[in-house]
Amino acid sequence: MGGVDVGPSNGKRQMNMEINMIPFIDLLMVTIMFLLITAVWVNFSRMNANAQIPGPPDPTKEIDPQTPEKVLNVHVTDSEFKLVWKQGATVVSETTAERPKQGGDLLYDDLAKKIADEWKQQSSHQDKSDKKQDQAILHVDNRLPFKEVIAVLDAIYDCKREMLVENEVKPFPVFNMSFSVR
Amino acid sequence: MSGGRVKMFPDHKHHDPHAHAVHKPGRRLMHHVPLHFVHKRVAGGGGRSVNAALNLVAFIDFLIVTVIFLLMSFSASGEITVDKNITLPKADNVQDVIEAPMVAVNGNQVLVDGTPAGSTRAIEDLGRMQKVDELFDLLKRKRELWRSFHPNKPFPGVCVLQVDENVSSLVVKSVFQTAAYAGYPNVSFMVRKRGKAAAN
Repeated sequence: MGGVDVGPSNGKRQMNMEINMIPFIDLLMVTIMFLLITAVWVNFSRMNANAQIPGPPDPTKEIDPQTPEKVLNVHVTDSEFKLVWKQGATVVSETTAERPKQGGDLLYDDLAKKIADEWKQQSSHQDKSDKKQDQAILHVDNRLPFKEVIAVLDAIYDCKREMLVENEVKPFPVFNMSFSVR
Repeated sequence: MSGGRVKMFPDHKHHDPHAHAVHKPGRRLMHHVPLHFVHKRVAGGGGRSVNAALNLVAFIDFLIVTVIFLLMSFSASGEITVDKNITLPKADNVQDVIEAPMVAVNGNQVLVDGTPAGSTRAIEDLGRMQKVDELFDLLKRKRELWRSFHPNKPFPGVCVLQVDENVSSLVVKSVFQTAAYAGYPNVSFMVRKRGKAAAN
């Protein structure tokens, strides 16, 4: 068993102690068993999207006309991704990124880099104190499998910025995504 | 040996050096050392102890490391059930799952918390986006139920979609739009978190 040896006792009272380790080991074993039984081995997570449905207008407030914000439109075609910044109906900028043909796990790293570059050039919400996210609208073909949609969404959410929330600076995705519906 | 008798255990008091006595078998070496403390040290005997001391330090270290690892990976939020017919896609940039109505979409049907709420095939056969009426009714009922339990709180309007990775975008968009119509504009897609090592 575990002992505490403090050297010879010089004939006085015994100073060395013996600790019974069995209850300690039992406790550790029981803890391990409990944690193993209650462990969740598969980690599920989520990705946000928003339908951008405005609430009913407040009749007590006067309607204040606002200039529309820039919105990133991501078009997924067979061979490329088209990134179009629009302000209302006006096209502000347009660029493309190659869509690689992949099997298995889909990762669009080049698209993520391109989106990050575009955001740095075009976004007006880059300050830490600005809590508003930019809007990204995803235009996909009806036949596109869901895993491709998630891979594009993952690339969009890869671009993050620091945001001041409750006196703490945290990394947040710069975009909030919605689907284009026709 | 006089009288033809063999004395098995001779008396040491009457020691006859010329007698060919038969002695009791046993250890002999160093047994005749007269000093008691030297005899005790050198004579040996007693055999090997049957008790063995195990070094528990390494064992306890291992147990503690296992406990710490398991405690760090412990989640009190509980396990979230995913429809067995659904394979979720993988992603890196994710958030923790929240408690909200679960809409499962597999290759055949749409389910809300396990209750059937529409057919995936019907949406695909139609070939265009549509409102899924059963799903709309179920989600609307859930929203009203939530409001009756929390009359003074604003409705969060959040639902989580568990969509199979091979389901077409047409179905996803239809379910997404139906959820928004039913009062759930904040839709989250459930995914499996991909490890950074796997991504590289």
